[in-house]
Amino acid sequence: MRLYRFRKRKARDASPAESLTYRDRATYALDAQLASLAAAGDDSAFTTIVTRFQPAVFRWALMFARDPDEAEDITQEVFVRTHQQIGQYRSDGSLEAWLYRITRRSATQMRRKSKRRGRLALSPGAQPARDVYTTDPGGRVDRERAASIIRELFSTLPQRQREIFDLVDLQGLSPAEAADRTGMKPVSVRSSLFKARKTIRESLLATHPSYRELSK
Amino acid sequence: MTCEECIRELATGSLRELAGDSPVMNHCAGCRDCAQLTTLLRDREYQAATVLNSLPPRSNPITVAETAGLLSGRRRVGGLVVMASGAAWVITIWIAAAVTVIPRMNSAEADGRNALRTETIPLTCLSPQQAADIINPYVHGRRSMYWVPSTGISAITVRGTASELARSRDLIREFEKDPAAECRLTPAQKTTLRHMQSGVAGESKTSGALLGKTSTPPKGAGPSEIPPATK
Repeated sequence: MRLYRFRKRKARDASPAESLTYRDRATYALDAQLASLAAAGDDSAFTTIVTRFQPAVFRWALMFARDPDEAEDITQEVFVRTHQQIGQYRSDGSLEAWLYRITRRSATQMRRKSKRRGRLALSPGAQPARDVYTTDPGGRVDRERAASIIRELFSTLPQRQREIFDLVDLQGLSPAEAADRTGMKPVSVRSSLFKARKTIRESLLATHPSYRELSK
Repeated sequence: MTCEECIRELATGSLRELAGDSPVMNHCAGCRDCAQLTTLLRDREYQAATVLNSLPPRSNPITVAETAGLLSGRRRVGGLVVMASGAAWVITIWIAAAVTVIPRMNSAEADGRNALRTETIPLTCLSPQQAADIINPYVHGRRSMYWVPSTGISAITVRGTASELARSRDLIREFEKDPAAECRLTPAQKTTLRHMQSGVAGESKTSGALLGKTSTPPKGAGPSEIPPATK
């Protein structure tokens, strides 16, 4: 039993390094180079990092935010922190994972700050819509749809479940990858995913004729 | 597969991994309600994923990078300002304490040092008058004093500062411990001593009469009254 556990742990520890492809390593090396240049004060290297990762950071921010505008704020905050802390980035991990952690932390802190200010006491619908993209009607429609999806899907979920559901079911990561990204145990990821799916699908499932009998 | 099993599977299973030949899909092929529900759930998640994954950020990356650099610099300066303010605050408090609180504490301590205390020192060998003679030169403060009991109790009460009390205590203890003190002599030794003293007194009386001087001893407690054997 002990031997089995040891082997299992050894395999788990060895798996991330072994699973790296040549492309991954090349990407890591490029990221590390960009990060070291940015840390040395090279503005163009930092702009390259922002250009490369802004869509990903914005997408991650969407799962923590109430609407796309808040996600924009989180994205800006993430890059401010990245600029401040880029010297602390160690090249042994991927820059993407490092940025994900910053995004998570920034979003959590911004949420806490806004909670402190009592803004969350108001319902999202009660807040005035920010009329800033009138020049792009298509974009506006997309954003409103995104906001309604966020409200519909995520408003009832705790942050951890929301994050796991988004990573696995909407972004298409495997539970193991989501566990690696969030630093959670795979078991916890599966448990959170199970609960999130149940909460989200419950209202639709309730329309099925035999659901009432099942829920009894 | 029954409808209940199908709903249970749909409630928590992954809709992405539903293969065409999976038990749920086989059931859905024959059950209209479950098929509708499965389509509804898959469609909803697909739409959500599409909308969220394809939504581009509105800000220009170059602007974001420039703003990040600017804000980062400002925050760094702000951090330094906060740190400097904190240091200034600590220094101000320290100076204020050094100027006001510490001298006050020192004066309180000095007051404590100069405060008068009263202590009664028990005597085993010396008489209270002898003890008073010993400590008299050292208890000289403005309000310092000593009391010699008139009822024959073998003790002396001293009122003075801590240093005066300590000095008096030490002196009395020193004389009390002396093995050659009169109180430690045997009765025979005491008689001999008295004889010797009376002899010396007689001689001095005679010599005083011859010289025309008074033989009255000086009044008050003085070092002459200390028995010669005490030190």
